[in-house]
Amino acid sequence: MRKHLKKCRNLTLTAAAVYAVLGSASVSAQEKLVIATTGGTLEQEMRTHFFDPFTKETGIQVVTVSGTGSENVARIKAMAQTGNVEWDLYQAGEIQAASELHRSMNEDMTEFCRAYQADKDLLPGACASSGVLSAYGTTLLAYNTRSFPAPGLKTWADFFDVRTFPGPRSMPNFNDPWRVMAAALLADGVKPDELFPLDVDRALANLDMIRPHISLWWKTGDQSTQGFRSGEYVAGEIWQTRASALKKEGQPLAWSQDQAFLVGDRWALIKKAPHRANAIKFLEYFLAHPQAQAKVCEALTCTPVRYSAGKTMNAEAQAASPISPEVFEKLIRPDAAWINANNQMLLERWNEWNQR
Amino acid sequence: MTVTSTIAAPPINAINNRARASYARGYSKTLSLMLIAPLVLLMGFGFLYPVGKLLIGSLFAPEFGLEQFRRLIRSPLYLTVLLRTFEIAFAVTIASLFIGYPIAFAMAKLPRRWAALTTVCVLIPLWTSTLVRSYAWIVLLQRKGVVNELLLNLGWITQPLRLIYTEGAVIMAMTHVLLPYMILPIFAAVHAIPKELGQAARNLGAGGTSAFWRIMLPLSLPGVFAGCLMTFILALGFYVTPALVGGPRTMLMATLIGQQTTETLDWAFAGALSTVLLAATLTFVIAFRKTLSLNRGFAGVA
Repeated sequence: MRKHLKKCRNLTLTAAAVYAVLGSASVSAQEKLVIATTGGTLEQEMRTHFFDPFTKETGIQVVTVSGTGSENVARIKAMAQTGNVEWDLYQAGEIQAASELHRSMNEDMTEFCRAYQADKDLLPGACASSGVLSAYGTTLLAYNTRSFPAPGLKTWADFFDVRTFPGPRSMPNFNDPWRVMAAALLADGVKPDELFPLDVDRALANLDMIRPHISLWWKTGDQSTQGFRSGEYVAGEIWQTRASALKKEGQPLAWSQDQAFLVGDRWALIKKAPHRANAIKFLEYFLAHPQAQAKVCEALTCTPVRYSAGKTMNAEAQAASPISPEVFEKLIRPDAAWINANNQMLLERWNEWNQR
Repeated sequence: MTVTSTIAAPPINAINNRARASYARGYSKTLSLMLIAPLVLLMGFGFLYPVGKLLIGSLFAPEFGLEQFRRLIRSPLYLTVLLRTFEIAFAVTIASLFIGYPIAFAMAKLPRRWAALTTVCVLIPLWTSTLVRSYAWIVLLQRKGVVNELLLNLGWITQPLRLIYTEGAVIMAMTHVLLPYMILPIFAAVHAIPKELGQAARNLGAGGTSAFWRIMLPLSLPGVFAGCLMTFILALGFYVTPALVGGPRTMLMATLIGQQTTETLDWAFAGALSTVLLAATLTFVIAFRKTLSLNRGFAGVA
């Protein structure tokens, strides 16, 4: 009897093992898609509103890998060089997406975008050869309403006017100096449509004046939020997403969208992607779901790619996002081609200025 | 007394030497090779190959030549930053030495329970992530941080001081992070000094201070040099802490290399910068060892 039982157990064990092996085989045979993300709330929101529903609808598993944006790009470059591409999709900054390097690593999306040419609900240029726009975000002027009660600061000229608006300032320093230089030039009276090519000498000269008042050069978004909470600065050039997060927390914060810088993120399809067909399916799915786009952008305060998505966002998110045409028109759009062509020069001048 | 000690010393050395020699003889060549093979392979694939590739890459972009290095010299920026990197590493090493030596000495000399406690205090930070420790400095030093609040409450200052995002903050935070690398070698050296030597010195009429300066300190110097070298080299390549605690002015070589690898993706130039940093570091290490070995009377290191 005992022997029999033992045999029985052995059988079940074998069966279980066989089943496990088969099961794992069926998992690995299951269709999948590898997306590199920047982690954090962005990934969480994308997972809830896009990745999981997409898997439910198509059966394609979405595997995510996360790292900082620039780390991801560096790894993709390495993959492309060794010819061993493991990822399919990632989000690239719009400026980077316009670069020569980006074109060499990622597929030209012109063919894909042909189907969307007549789609009037998409923001202009949302589907372009450099990639499919995921969402727009802005970098804007945010300030502490306790230090500066209404009407507060409006333009970069106000930000640079430390006599009328005294108090410590914060500006970004994440190896992307055009944003800082552009703000300095606008403050100095340069017209938005004459901003590019940037007059670096003039920008740095204006920055010389404000440098003693800058108490925080933030490198990461977290630094900019923490700095505001701890009163490290009372007026700063920060990301809209961070400003909204602070406001939601109940911080005394207001912002001005006049002269805010508009920068988007684009889905890029890596050349020789191992699951190319699935990636295409995902991009189609992404563009076809304005409701989900709206949900993601409500959480992150971004501007979704579809007008219809923008309209379904809640009132709070609509007020925070620059979706109304009159605000959207006034936003400053960087000249990506010029920035890419002068990337090294900008960085070198910026580094030199910092060492001065 | 002196005579006995000189007579007693050689046999100990001889025994030590014999023991070491027989150890070395104990392993056959094949076995030795097999034992070091995993490490060599790991170093080869994980370190030498990629680093070598990066360094060679700096010579072949766009075509073979020194273009990347010429670019490095063209602007004064890169050499200024290299110099600053060495300055900061030097300051961190000196600060670590002055803070670390007494701690290491205490660890070796205190009664067992207290020594264990000190060791724990040294090791726990070592096992904590650098990131966490750097953020801790931000909490302490920020405008409304612990230090500023305290000084304001005491009425010593009326305006919060600017403590964070300065060169001083970087040196302080880096010293904190690197301190264990200074303490542990010194501790090992002090611990290895036979207790009898100190007692003998006292017996021969040396005061406590004199015994320290003339016996303990010289004998612990190998540990001091090892600690200094380790701290200095680690400080030269530091990346996370200066990025978090320092402002844009405290730019180190690692920051520049990071910019080129992940932001501009110009790996040839990043390779050139790394080569220069590596060459400068190696030159420094070799010079350091040469000076020490010339100076044998000082201590028998290197």
